Amino acid sequence: MSDLFGFKGAEGAGYAQPDPISDDFEFPVALKRENLPRWPRASEPEIVRHYTWLSTRSHGIDSGFYPLGSCTMKHNPRVNERIVQMPGMNDLHALAPASHLQGLMAIFHEMQEMLEHCAGMDTVTLQPVAGAQGEFTAMRCIQEYHRDIGESHRNKVIVPDSAHGTNPASAAMCGYEIIEIPSLDNGQLDLDALRAVVGNDTAAMMITNPSTLGIFEPEIAEAAKIVHDAGGQMYYDGANFNAILGKTNPGLMGFDAVHYNLHKTFSQPHGGGGPGAGPIGVKSHLADYLPAPLVVASEDEEGEVWFDWYEPSKSIGKVQQWHGNAGATVRSWAYYRRYGRELETMSEHAVLNANYLRHRIMNPSDEVRSKIHAMPADGAPADVVKHEFTLSMTPVKDSTGVTGKDIAKRLLDYGYMSPTLYFPMIVPECLMFEPTETESKEAIDQFADDFLTILTEDPEMVKTAPHDTPVKRVDEVWAARNLVLRHPIDE
Amino acid sequence: MTGGSVKSPQRGGRGDIVVDQLPNLGREKEMLTAMGMSSMDDLFSDIPEDVRRTTPLDLRPPQTEEEILREARMLLGTNISVDSRPSFLGAGLYSNFVPTMVPMLATRGEFLTSYTPYQPEVSQGMLQAMWEFQTMISELVSLPVSNVSMYDASTAAAEAITCAVRVHERKATQKSTVYVSELVPPHRMSVIENYTQGAEISIHKLPHREDGLLDLEAAVSAEGACAVYVEQPNAFGLLDEGLMQLKSLIGENTALIIGVQPVSLGLIAAPGDYGADIVVGEGQPFGIGPTAGGPIYGLFACRDAYIRQMPGRIVGLSKDSDGGRAFTLTLSTREQHIRRHRATSNICSNETLIALMGAMHMALLGPEGLQKLARRNAGACSAAKKAILALDGVEAVHPQGVHFNEFAIRLNKPAADLLNFLDHECDITGGFDLSQWWPERENEILICATDQIDLEDIEELVEGIQDWEEGYE
Repeated sequence: MSDLFGFKGAEGAGYAQPDPISDDFEFPVALKRENLPRWPRASEPEIVRHYTWLSTRSHGIDSGFYPLGSCTMKHNPRVNERIVQMPGMNDLHALAPASHLQGLMAIFHEMQEMLEHCAGMDTVTLQPVAGAQGEFTAMRCIQEYHRDIGESHRNKVIVPDSAHGTNPASAAMCGYEIIEIPSLDNGQLDLDALRAVVGNDTAAMMITNPSTLGIFEPEIAEAAKIVHDAGGQMYYDGANFNAILGKTNPGLMGFDAVHYNLHKTFSQPHGGGGPGAGPIGVKSHLADYLPAPLVVASEDEEGEVWFDWYEPSKSIGKVQQWHGNAGATVRSWAYYRRYGRELETMSEHAVLNANYLRHRIMNPSDEVRSKIHAMPADGAPADVVKHEFTLSMTPVKDSTGVTGKDIAKRLLDYGYMSPTLYFPMIVPECLMFEPTETESKEAIDQFADDFLTILTEDPEMVKTAPHDTPVKRVDEVWAARNLVLRHPIDE
Repeated sequence: MTGGSVKSPQRGGRGDIVVDQLPNLGREKEMLTAMGMSSMDDLFSDIPEDVRRTTPLDLRPPQTEEEILREARMLLGTNISVDSRPSFLGAGLYSNFVPTMVPMLATRGEFLTSYTPYQPEVSQGMLQAMWEFQTMISELVSLPVSNVSMYDASTAAAEAITCAVRVHERKATQKSTVYVSELVPPHRMSVIENYTQGAEISIHKLPHREDGLLDLEAAVSAEGACAVYVEQPNAFGLLDEGLMQLKSLIGENTALIIGVQPVSLGLIAAPGDYGADIVVGEGQPFGIGPTAGGPIYGLFACRDAYIRQMPGRIVGLSKDSDGGRAFTLTLSTREQHIRRHRATSNICSNETLIALMGAMHMALLGPEGLQKLARRNAGACSAAKKAILALDGVEAVHPQGVHFNEFAIRLNKPAADLLNFLDHECDITGGFDLSQWWPERENEILICATDQIDLEDIEELVEGIQDWEEGYE
């Protein structure tokens, strides 16, 4: 147990700083700070050891298989980190003249064009810093567009019940009323339910495709037609974009706006919860509303290319104060360069791996099957899935009392991160698996075998899992009841 | 491109170069056969014809790590950084020194490549680090609770306002109304407007006096509103003692939200000690360089009354089934993945890794290190101010002001002219042209001197300004 606030060493032990160049300043007495924050007093070796110890109690993709559905936990190439540590990145000021940022702006420009092409959109802004902020930004653009064309009465946003929670939350933050429509029993979008709710108050529909069940919506074009005929806009949640690069795109499906998760599809590391980046792309009718900055290129007489910042004429303004998460854009640029047009191969392998894992879990050998208490059920019937799939643990729970959560916790004992748990909510006892394209066949085989083994284990052992992790099962209710949200320090 | 056959390994690359990120390249057939499929196309048979791409992606061929690195070095090498020359540009992002240990440890794979710690049993390290971060921010601003981070200072300010409205709306006599300092920079103001318009919050501006300090007599009008948002130091780098009386003027039922430059709190009173209910700010000076504005991280700390309405992730202490100490994300019933459209915020991905870098930096500084860092910033600002205001043709915009980090000067010619001269003739980034925020201030420059400015830098700036003036004689 290493406690940061247990370090109470000498003053200034941590890192020595040069002396002030002047002590000739005077602040009003009332404004002077009397008690310094009770931060630790620790030397560099102590701090290094503390955080190294903490890192051993964390689990990343680097630690092991991480099939967390909807999160696209793919390998993060290390050259991307090397690049953002180079001079000319962390030491750039956002307000510096454009002449100081030409290299960065060249990267922005290339990323805008690449993202436009991959999604079939006309214009991309790199401003939003997370997927949810991308959703919010696009819905704000749609809102201003409707106000502009005299359709400000459009105050409702439709989301399927399988949607990510950010979709309704982002639209609600814009002031929209949310209409949730149920999915069909097979997990697909219910067009009749959609037809029943669209009208002249429909602002937009927000949907991800493939859906959170990993199913490609076969009638997506018809859904887009229904919404467009009612005068609404189609918004594509790009969380599941990793499945379809080069195969189809949101533009072909009839979408008007889309966000990209650079931290999913384009390998910006997730960093324990962020940073991410959530650029958005739109069709031309929405382009004038995008937040600044966009990068535009021009060429002088000698063929020299020059990049400038550009603010669209009816821009909604800013959603982050600066140029978005520039460092994430640069990492994702390096990632894109690794694949280039072979991004299609990337998606093929993401889908290959997901289908292979699903096949391996659902088709155990007769010997293994004979030992399994109960097999999980498919979250949605489908011959093929895309990059992810869901399983319902209801049959297991009914037969043994072991829940989806118990299985998720037991997987931790085997050295895996658990799949996404209890989402989407329309699948009971749901586990959602996304292996990504960067897992080997052997790793997938081993995971499937271990998963099946858990289904044969003594239910009591599974219910009390995990057993081999740094701490045993954590009591989340205790935390919410007691709310100890900081270290007491001196107590 | 989409022929019926299984693709050969060469399909994954250009000539002899294959994409080196795919462990199963060349093993497609083996895996497909196991599933009873014959072609990769079978995997995409569910995509209807009418929405399929008919042409391959029209993008460049793949590159090797070496080629990408070379090109990145070339491109980033054309940028002009704040560390490569004397730079007096601040205005919300601050040049700093980040101890080497910070990026080295924060990029350990267990931190870098982990997701939000939804499974606490294998995420104790990041959870504890964030709980410690919450504690250090709580100590810094003197408020009981901090979240794990916001995107930046502007979204932190915006969501502090919507949070305060939810808490105070019922008792407010000025319903859905907040008062915001007129000196909040336009880009930050724009973020605030985007985030508050959906809740139909009406924003009134708080005026300032000629000396750049808040007009306290006018601020009384905010009483009964849901919130007041002001900054300390403000956009001109001014420290305002008057803000210490603000809470008593606006009353218990109006949230006082204060935006801070966190380094200043090594010398300046913590806002929680003079009435702030919520403190926000740009955490950037701790942990990471200005980074072209992102990824950085926003601070958000508050009093207990706001906990259930606050945005963002929060880590709490708990216990495991053996009764041992453990950490977990808590209060998630506020969040979008549980509450959907009734969530307090849509924030999901945040800036945890950058906050972790901030925590490492703060832990290494310690209390006295923080104080020294603040003294270095105050000293650099003071030295620059004295030297520059002594020049002919330069006057202080706020001559009586007490400044931290930055101060505004007024010239008798357009500021852009001097800044261009310094940039092109002297290799100095001279400051921020205030007409970019407020067009009427075309002769004014905001000059920032952080701990990274030394006496020679100031001397160079002084000489540059003199040379420019002489060019007009």
